[in-house]
Amino acid sequence: METSPTTGTDTPRRLRAPEHPVDPRAVRWWVLRALCTTGLVAVVLGVGYWLWVPARPWLVVPLVLAVLWTVVKVVVEPRVRLAVHRWETTDEAVYGLTGWIVQEWRVAPLSRVQTVDAVRGPLEQLLGLSTLRVTTASSSGAISIVGLDKEVAAEVAERLTVITEKIPGDAT
Amino acid sequence: MSEPETVQVDSTPAAAHDDTPWERLHHRMIWVDVAQTVLSLAPSVVAVLVFGAEASWSALWPLLLVGGFGVLGAVGNATRWVFTRYRITPDYVERRTGIFVRRYRSVRRDRIRSVDVTARLRHRVAGLRVVLVGAGQQLSAGESALELDAVLRADAEALRRELLGGHRVPAAVAAGEEVEPATGTGTGSEISTASVDDEEGEVFARFRPWWVVYNMVSIWAYVMAAGLLWGAFWLTSTFGLDPAGWIEGLLDWEALGWPGTIAVALLATGALGAVGMAVNFFTTHWGFVLARVPGEKSTQLRTRQGLLTTREVNRDDRRLRGVTVSEPVLWRWMRMADTNVITTGLSVWSASQPTTILPRGPRSVALPVSAAVLDADPDPFGEPLRRHPAGALRRRLWWATATSAAVTAALWWCATNGVAPHSAAWWGGGLWLLALLGALVAYRALGHTISGDHLVVRSGLTSRATTALRRDAVSTIALRQSILQRRLGLKTVSAMTAAGWGTYEAPDIEADEALAFAVAAAPGLLEPFLVPDGARAPST
Repeated sequence: METSPTTGTDTPRRLRAPEHPVDPRAVRWWVLRALCTTGLVAVVLGVGYWLWVPARPWLVVPLVLAVLWTVVKVVVEPRVRLAVHRWETTDEAVYGLTGWIVQEWRVAPLSRVQTVDAVRGPLEQLLGLSTLRVTTASSSGAISIVGLDKEVAAEVAERLTVITEKIPGDAT
Repeated sequence: MSEPETVQVDSTPAAAHDDTPWERLHHRMIWVDVAQTVLSLAPSVVAVLVFGAEASWSALWPLLLVGGFGVLGAVGNATRWVFTRYRITPDYVERRTGIFVRRYRSVRRDRIRSVDVTARLRHRVAGLRVVLVGAGQQLSAGESALELDAVLRADAEALRRELLGGHRVPAAVAAGEEVEPATGTGTGSEISTASVDDEEGEVFARFRPWWVVYNMVSIWAYVMAAGLLWGAFWLTSTFGLDPAGWIEGLLDWEALGWPGTIAVALLATGALGAVGMAVNFFTTHWGFVLARVPGEKSTQLRTRQGLLTTREVNRDDRRLRGVTVSEPVLWRWMRMADTNVITTGLSVWSASQPTTILPRGPRSVALPVSAAVLDADPDPFGEPLRRHPAGALRRRLWWATATSAAVTAALWWCATNGVAPHSAAWWGGGLWLLALLGALVAYRALGHTISGDHLVVRSGLTSRATTALRRDAVSTIALRQSILQRRLGLKTVSAMTAAGWGTYEAPDIEADEALAFAVAAAPGLLEPFLVPDGARAPST
């Protein structure tokens, strides 16, 4: 591990993307999520604009922005995310690639993992999806892999739990 | 925080079978409470009898409030003494307290991470000390796992040694002098930079009165001055004096005009605040010593300080992960620096700031002391940092411009709607210049490198923070790239750890170098996911 960032390594290497894509049904989940958040804001602003005439000059700009943002979140974001999001687990680490405007490659060693959960929110239950959440002792070091098939997520969570239990230490 | 729960708060004793006798807190607390009652009531009595103030609520309410709180506190404290018992068993520290709600709390001794000994003035007058047992808990902010308020000074010392050292020193032995036990001295530890003496261990830094300069200049000086002036105004008014008239008579305010008056007022309050800050510095940091002292299981990083209220904090060296030296931007020219350790189990949010290992002082002291505390070779703070590419500056300039433009547009919109004056749009221009300057300052703060076992990152606009973090403490590593960053060929590297702020970032490193830095920052973690450049792989 004596390779300093100044010299780099002999052959230029790069980080490959994780192996597995997420479930295509995740697109629907991202669309629904966008409709429930920014879509709701746009609707509330629209109703306000419609009912409250004196406030119209003030509401027009936020309303237009909210509608545009909702369209982007519904049409663009889910497709970009589906193309970007990937994940992989090995016997040593969890590796996730997430994001659309800001992409993030995140790797956590299983030796530092504290909890492994398969979390299912109401929308995910509707679509048969699940989120794999792997937390470490660092308050900000958690890895969330969204949009997995619920069977896959449960199986991976179980496998990771078995592996982490075998590793001694208090994971700090 | 996902720190495992280490404190049990139940009603059933964990070691009920143990027949170790329960002990009381020291009875001298009662006398302290009686004295506090008398002292709290004294100002009101003096105001009435000596100064002939009217004995009514409207005239005396500040003094009566002070007196009331003092008496209530004393009575509450005495009651607490009556109902509190504690004991140290081989495995647990246990405490029972409370009148109506009986509370039992036990802390397993192998979970104890710190034992702090503090004392307020009233404790010191009576020769008592408060013992705070910390177990790395993240319950509510700043709460100790267990607090013993108060025991005799010698007992506190003995308790500290026993809980951290694993063996009980008879109080009688410790009573005479504050001598560290000869057993368990850090044998074999290499001590090169600092002086060593038996009493205090390896001393890294001692109180220097001239550090007061660094603690006088702060925006808080005005807050402090405001508080002092308000207090003085109330006090003098209560005793029948006329502070407003006195100030009016000091200078010919009419001749000064408004600007002059404001300037004089700012200077005077600033000066008063600075004096207040200086007094505060001397009272809190008097006798400051930072030292590494031996313990049974590992060495401890210990700070002792305080003139009236003494405070001692012991930090387990096994939990030390790094050090942060931060320099506030406004005082960069006088090379002012704050020094904090990155340790698991000590909250950075705690009001008592247990992570601070040096008073605010000069950089020239903070850096060598940090290096000595880390005890690393090569010195992480001595290493020259790698600059970040021009793209990082361009990104900051872009953001400064975009933010200023958005604010200007909003101001202009408000102006056209008649809410703000038409000059408002010009403020946007001023903001832009300020933002560009900020972008330049923030860019110049950037730096990163790998130094031996540590990674070093530096960033921050309002406070330039240089952090040296142990590479083996990095739990999660993340690379981040926004669309703008991709256009500029940049990536941000975040090293996450279970200590301190949790995340330490090196923003906007050139993309290839970012990967190399990330690979080096978390040894072995990223290697399995690296492929030779040019090989088949989905887009990264």
